[in-house]
Amino acid sequence: MKKVLLSLLLVSIIFLLFADRGNAIPAFARKHSFNCNMCHTAYPKLNDFGQRFRDNGYQIPGQVGGEKSIFATSPPIAIRALPGYDIYKTECCKMNSFHIFGVDILAAGVFHENLSFLFIYTPRIDEPAADYTGPQDGLNPRQLASVESANVVFSNVIDNKLNFRVGRFEPSYLPFSAKRSYYLFSPYEIYDFATPMNTFIVGDNQLGIEAAGHFKSGFKYAVGFMNGNNGNPDNNNNKDIYFRLLKTFGRGDGQSAGQRIGIFGIYGMQPTSFYGSIVSPFGETDGFINKQFYRIGLDASINWSTLNFQFLYMIGKDDKALNTLRPTEDYEYSGGFAQIDWAVMKNNRLVLSLLYNWVFPPDYDEQGKLKTYSVLGRYYLGNWEAVNVALHLEYTYKGRTICRFREDIIGMVIDFAF
Amino acid sequence: MRRELLSIMLLLCIIVFVVSAEEKPPRKAPPLPDVAVHSLGPQKLAPLPPVPVPPDNPQTPMKILLGKQLYFDTRLSADNNESCASCHDPAMGWSDKGPTSVGIKSQVGPRRAPPVSNSAYMPLQFWDGRADTLEEQAKGPIINPKEMGNTHEKMLETLNSIPGYVEEFETVFGKIPIDLDQVAKAIAAYERTIVTTDSPFDRYAKGDKTALTPLEAQGLEIFNGKGHCTACHWGPNFTDGRFHNLGAKNKEPMEDDLGRYAVTKNDKDKRAFKTPTVRDVASRPPYLHNGSEQTLWDLVEFYNRGGGDDDSNMDPLMVPLGLTKGEMEALVAFMKVAVTSNNPEVANEKPIPPDEFPK
Ligand code: HEC
Ligand code: HEC
Repeated sequence: MKKVLLSLLLVSIIFLLFADRGNAIPAFARKHSFNCNMCHTAYPKLNDFGQRFRDNGYQIPGQVGGEKSIFATSPPIAIRALPGYDIYKTECCKMNSFHIFGVDILAAGVFHENLSFLFIYTPRIDEPAADYTGPQDGLNPRQLASVESANVVFSNVIDNKLNFRVGRFEPSYLPFSAKRSYYLFSPYEIYDFATPMNTFIVGDNQLGIEAAGHFKSGFKYAVGFMNGNNGNPDNNNNKDIYFRLLKTFGRGDGQSAGQRIGIFGIYGMQPTSFYGSIVSPFGETDGFINKQFYRIGLDASINWSTLNFQFLYMIGKDDKALNTLRPTEDYEYSGGFAQIDWAVMKNNRLVLSLLYNWVFPPDYDEQGKLKTYSVLGRYYLGNWEAVNVALHLEYTYKGRTICRFREDIIGMVIDFAF
Repeated sequence: MRRELLSIMLLLCIIVFVVSAEEKPPRKAPPLPDVAVHSLGPQKLAPLPPVPVPPDNPQTPMKILLGKQLYFDTRLSADNNESCASCHDPAMGWSDKGPTSVGIKSQVGPRRAPPVSNSAYMPLQFWDGRADTLEEQAKGPIINPKEMGNTHEKMLETLNSIPGYVEEFETVFGKIPIDLDQVAKAIAAYERTIVTTDSPFDRYAKGDKTALTPLEAQGLEIFNGKGHCTACHWGPNFTDGRFHNLGAKNKEPMEDDLGRYAVTKNDKDKRAFKTPTVRDVASRPPYLHNGSEQTLWDLVEFYNRGGGDDDSNMDPLMVPLGLTKGEMEALVAFMKVAVTSNNPEVANEKPIPPDEFPK
């Protein structure tokens, strides 16, 4: 309860401080006096310009050296919150509730030419079980307290052919950002799929270091080392590695214009034994008998007028030693998603989208098998300088083959960020 | 406990941030076109601040009048046919009919005459920024063989032989004979009065929300958002004062123009040109340094395609915009009307009648 109060206090203090400033946040838009659509096709999805801005270490490309540092701007802090209401239905029951579906506190900016940072903190949200006082404090929190991102970007080390990102960040092997998806109730399921004994989750922000760059020919690459243990200290002494390669066609980067295709791969090791392993004062362990796993995939993003079609297919394999369900076989699965986004009204005020997700685990893990169909509409009340308020309506049908279990989710959210 | 500590620390950090970044006192108008201000990156679109005046060339009414006479006086050119106003004509948005400027003996220059209006706010002058100040700039066209085709000596000889001018220069500068710096200073002082204000946009920015029609307001929103225009056309003068390659290449038989590269010899500056102001843009078609886009609609289509010819040196900010027809209409409406100024001294400036020049 105290924590909730503290968070609330924090949010309201920030709100009050900025309320009369006229020009409020998202850190970058406010810094530059831009509307959100400068970088977002529609918040939070980035357009080509926003993607280039991000790739350039949060500096306007071609204007490097002419960026106000964080010391020359008002506080580079932004907040996003998702208050709303949901209806949840399964074959047996139906429930509904008001919620705070998520809160992010963000800070970002440029320290110095080609040296910038991004910081995202998600406070713990204990609802709907805030008053629960059982053995597990705050049962089933909506959101865990977490430093979702804290990374420093060294950009343009060799032009934009070499840039580094260090810390916790969203790794570039993800062709479509999980954090900047329009969908609030239907994640990219294949990103979040957990295999029997592997702690690695594709869609999570990772701790590590990444090098990335692009070339005039339209090629972009990224390679990185990471713990591969999501936001946690590593559980073995092997660092996992990954790469991403993409090629753009036509003008634009395939985000909001032009087309792009790409491939990605992750190769890592997971311990199968912790027997006698040591935990350091910093939380890492030296887990033993490390066994390999990999994920590879391909993706495409195609733009036509204000339509954006996105496709991803991925397969994953864990060594049989990691397969607690059937230790004689490697655990293999596949899945992906296809999504169409359509910016309908002037200045992308209304966005409609369809999303289809599928995950096919091996037969003996049938309950993981999943198909989801989602549709959403987001209407942006205004496109004010550095403020965004969107009305979000989303419907998801989740079908699991096992017992023909189905879930229907309707979510209504006021998504605001400033 | 750790979490609470974290929250408290975060709170402290935020408070420190907020307190330390208390609204900075408003920047005073810089004494000079301040390159430093421009190097700070994008600023808000806003009404123009008072014009920056260099300390060694203060504005006086007499000097401004003298500058105006020189500006319109064809006797500064070799053949008594060209004045500054031949190419920077107040009736044509302080530019000319283009596509590129035509100088002495009908010679066609390689570049379009940029507007003189608001050039006082530019941190660097010319499409390639080769002059730092208006004073330095004003000396150029007089001796440019394709513009006024004169020499400084001959021009000064002419001026010194006109008693009316000698008298005026003496009153203004307290010193004769007339020298080149005086001529440049007087012209620059006049140019600093050619400032366009009081456009519907300015009234809107000052709080009159009825100053723009809904379509124009949409255009502004696109200008500062989906159109990415303010990534380069920012601040009170709608320009970053920097150089970008938009891919507007010269077509045969005109030769390739390397733009800013000629000054810096930096490969990144090849075919990069200075961002012009968008203020009063409707009054001076055609557009771009080579006059290659005929109308504002053409220009917006150009941007919507992601710029001109493919160029390995194209500015990284140039991406197709995905603007719909309706969005393009809004953007054009904004540029046609909303940034057109109404201040009479600039909008209705008339050339000096021939018999009123100093004799
Ligand atoms: C023959 C046509 C012509 C004449 C006459 C002429 N100019 Fe220009 N002016 C141009 C052209 C063309 C440019 C751009 C040249 C370049 O960038 O290389 C220019 C550039 C300028 C600029 C720079 C504006 C900016 O935003 O960069 C100023 C100021 C200017 N002229 C003032 C004058 C003055 C003052 C005179 C009279 C002394 C004059 N011009 C005479 C054609 C002319
Ligand atoms: C990458 C920076 C950049 C962006 C983004 C940009 N401009 Fe420009 N703009 C320039 C430059 C540089 C020129 C001159 C280029 C040349 O002549 O080759 C120019 C020229 C113009 C002109 C012609 C002015 C004249 O006097 O000829 C207009 C009008 C204009 N831009 C409007 C816009 C609009 C509208 C947008 C948004 C759709 C936009 N610009 C986006 C940099 C930019």
